[in-house]
Amino acid sequence: MIEVEGVLVRFGGVIALNEVSARFTAPVAGIIGPNGAGKTTLMNVISGFVTATAGRILVEGEDFLALAPHRRAHRGLRRSFQKDQIADDLTVFDNVLVQLDFTLAGGAAKRAEVMRMLDVVGLADRAGRIGAELTGFERRLTDVARCLVGRPRLVMFDEPAGGLSVEETHRLGELIQGIHGLTGAQTLVIDHDVELIARVCAETLVLDFGRRIAFGPTADVLADPRVKAAYLGTEEVAP
Amino acid sequence: MDRNLFHVTPRGWAGLGLAAFCFAVLPAVVGSYWLSILTSAACFTMAASGVAFMYARLGMVSLTQVGLMGIGGWVALRLNYAFAFPFEVNLVLAALATMICGWVLALPALRMRGLYLALVTLMAAGGLEIIFSTFQFPNGGSGFWGVKIGSADPFRGPALAPGPAAYLRYVVVMVTLGFLFIEGHRRLFPGRAWALIRRSEAAAMAAGVNVTLYKTWAFGIAGLLAGASGTLLAGSLGLLDDGTFRSPESIMIFALSVVGGAQYWLGAVVAAVLYRVLPGLLNQWGVNADLAFVIFGAGLLHAVITAPDGIAGQIWGGIGRLMSRRKGGAE
Repeated sequence: MIEVEGVLVRFGGVIALNEVSARFTAPVAGIIGPNGAGKTTLMNVISGFVTATAGRILVEGEDFLALAPHRRAHRGLRRSFQKDQIADDLTVFDNVLVQLDFTLAGGAAKRAEVMRMLDVVGLADRAGRIGAELTGFERRLTDVARCLVGRPRLVMFDEPAGGLSVEETHRLGELIQGIHGLTGAQTLVIDHDVELIARVCAETLVLDFGRRIAFGPTADVLADPRVKAAYLGTEEVAP
Repeated sequence: MDRNLFHVTPRGWAGLGLAAFCFAVLPAVVGSYWLSILTSAACFTMAASGVAFMYARLGMVSLTQVGLMGIGGWVALRLNYAFAFPFEVNLVLAALATMICGWVLALPALRMRGLYLALVTLMAAGGLEIIFSTFQFPNGGSGFWGVKIGSADPFRGPALAPGPAAYLRYVVVMVTLGFLFIEGHRRLFPGRAWALIRRSEAAAMAAGVNVTLYKTWAFGIAGLLAGASGTLLAGSLGLLDDGTFRSPESIMIFALSVVGGAQYWLGAVVAAVLYRVLPGLLNQWGVNADLAFVIFGAGLLHAVITAPDGIAGQIWGGIGRLMSRRKGGAE
């Protein structure tokens, strides 16, 4: 369970997140909202790249805000960024292996796990290719494989479907839905593709101007008139 | 991949070939003037490999490298006159001491990036320059600083390498080991961490990489190589002069590493050849050696404008094109 409690973030005079609270219990949960709503800021608070003025983030009961960013990764946090983060001069294999380098497991066990996850995402045959030779989708899949290794507890994807074709988005959605069964981790997904969110996320948090405007089962949330007003821009509805 | 740790690439074979040539042929065919210049060039190759490694792997500009060489040389000379250790023990201790200095330098420097990091390291080089010119290098005198007026006491070189020709061979072996040390790091977990840090520090942190630790580690390696090269330089001359370690020399060795091509072993060799062999050639031809500075400047402009991978990048690129053309012609 991921608990976000009263998270407040200020950038100078701007309130980026205004006491946002949510308790994610579904295997895959979504975060949606218009541009500038605070989605990525919330993810950055959970990762440790942005410091919250107030609030708590608990992952399975463990307070994450007290930990340095790399320690959160050691404690099972994984994330991808809007732009893929693949080192061009490392092979696909090494790009994933780097996630396991802090663990003390044996080299053979680490290599086996990397190969297993590359097999899951469908890159096992391209493990030896260097990052510079990969297509956009292959880079994205390498990012996903990196998020799967090392017994993750919380996996976060920031706009994973950006720039992907319909078929690629579909394949990515399947992978995201499989994460919980494969690793036991919970997943949070930010995306503008409402269809993807509706398909893979059992529950969804909607943000607008740093506030939570809805949270609950995805179908209910997407039917909420306030969400339609804020996110889809249909008409003004009084709260 | 770990099983690729010992895989030798074509460029690796070329490097080993050059090392073998420098080991077997060069010392046998050149006179004493060139022996001393080539030994010095080999020492600066090692120092340049450290600063080029930091720039190529992490994008960090260090302008203290020659100053750190001075620290290595100072420690080696100090140990030589204070104790009866063999040369190799002094070499290891001086390299380790310089590595620790690299770490200490890293502490304030890691809070900065880019130009500011370069400025901090340049200030450190300036500070070291003042210390060296004030206290000089130990030459067998008494007390902590160990400096006396008059001729220096004898320096114990490596027992394995008596005479200048054997010493050049010895230095070539050490420089090769230095390159292998860097390459081993690049292929193992520090190399993976550095590659990700260069891609993005946020991504590295998200992958569990302790960014501060790995950047400090890189400073330590650059320091280790500088310390070893300073010791080897001291072993070549038997004494050191503070004029060798002025801060402009650190800037020069960095700039020449960029001209040479920071991401290739050949780049460090080209840097050291430009830095040491070119002035030697000009001297021999009776031309003012300061002309080398003009050539360095032109080389730097060339690298900045047309050759981002340096001269080594152009050489490897040219060889690659030649090979593919020959392959294409044969088919």
